[in-house]
Amino acid sequence: MTDDDADLVALIDNELDETTKSALLARLATDGQLRARYEALREAGAPIAASLDALLQQAPVARLRAALPAERAAPAPQRRFAGIAWRELAAGIVIGLLAAGAAAWVALSLAPREGAEDWRSAVAEYTGLYTNETFSPLNPDAALQAAELSAVGARVGANLTPDKLALPGLRFTVAFMLSFEGSPLGAIAYVDPEGNPVMFCVFANQAPDAPLRSERRDDLSLASWSRGGRSFLVVGRVPEERALALAQTLEKRV
Amino acid sequence: MSEASRREVRAGLEPCLARLWRYALILSRANDVADDLVQATCLRAIERADQYAPGTRLDRWLFAILRSIWFNEIRARRIREGGGFVDAEDALSIDGAHAIETNILAAQVLKAIGQLPEAQCETVLLVYGEGYSYAEAAAALSIPIGTVMSRLAAARAALTKLR
Repeated sequence: MTDDDADLVALIDNELDETTKSALLARLATDGQLRARYEALREAGAPIAASLDALLQQAPVARLRAALPAERAAPAPQRRFAGIAWRELAAGIVIGLLAAGAAAWVALSLAPREGAEDWRSAVAEYTGLYTNETFSPLNPDAALQAAELSAVGARVGANLTPDKLALPGLRFTVAFMLSFEGSPLGAIAYVDPEGNPVMFCVFANQAPDAPLRSERRDDLSLASWSRGGRSFLVVGRVPEERALALAQTLEKRV
Repeated sequence: MSEASRREVRAGLEPCLARLWRYALILSRANDVADDLVQATCLRAIERADQYAPGTRLDRWLFAILRSIWFNEIRARRIREGGGFVDAEDALSIDGAHAIETNILAAQVLKAIGQLPEAQCETVLLVYGEGYSYAEAAAALSIPIGTVMSRLAAARAALTKLR
């Protein structure tokens, strides 16, 4: 390490104040040895970020997720999220990536409502909790996407593949299982370029066929239909027409 | 306010787990300790969710909690109990299969980072891994910016020897 190293590294990191920067640039213009040192330090640092990112891939996320503590105190029942107890919400956070193709399985019991129809309300309220930071960091590769979708598809009796579920303008982030009143509910989370979550849910509820319809609830748009003993729902903080268009695309494929 | 805090902390923990674990591993140099440290951090974050200001950087708030637990509790206890520290040599390594998939250079660089002194290693992670500015890193580590600069320079200087 030389006396100039700290300034050279700060220059590389674009952290040098203007005065020091000007002086250092002037010296670099004339001093070959200093330039060589600058290059050596720059090259040495170039692979650091990628190397640290490689470490992230090794994080035992499934194990850490499973260890997330459950919330003890439930909020007062009159709250907007009364339908989902906080303890269950903790389980809901335990979503996501599957380790080595094995299903990360969450039996989340969304609290019973007035009727089977209200699974959509429960999902909508749950979706309201997600922010544009919830799913954005998840970026599964093709193999993991396929494994997750296949596992979720098997539980809800649908053939789910990355191709079928690819949606324009949205990025797949994770597929996971919930349950509502004892029936399996598969959830697939997408994000738009700003990170806003859009959920596609498949609920094996044995409901009679129903045509596609859309609605607004608070700031969420919902588009849903039922077919073949399963109900489907697209929900997200997007315009109603967009939710409807996404649902129309999925209706043809799933 | 507190309801919003609780909700945001709850919802935000899961996406941060991998990064919290990486930070915990960099600090503790031991996989099992890293797991426990992340777990303790999540627990503490939930307990203190009221102290989190919604809309601010949750990840950095969690990092601060993790760091505090490490330095004030786990590390301090280890020193008191004379447990000493894990030899850092091979703590940060990429498993073989993954190294081939990514690249050999990443594995080498990581190993070299693992051999840096504790303080340099942490500073490297915050600035180059987590995107902290020098000023942000200085604040997080309670050190002058000049110390951030010298730690990063020393780290890069050590890495030049890889070539």
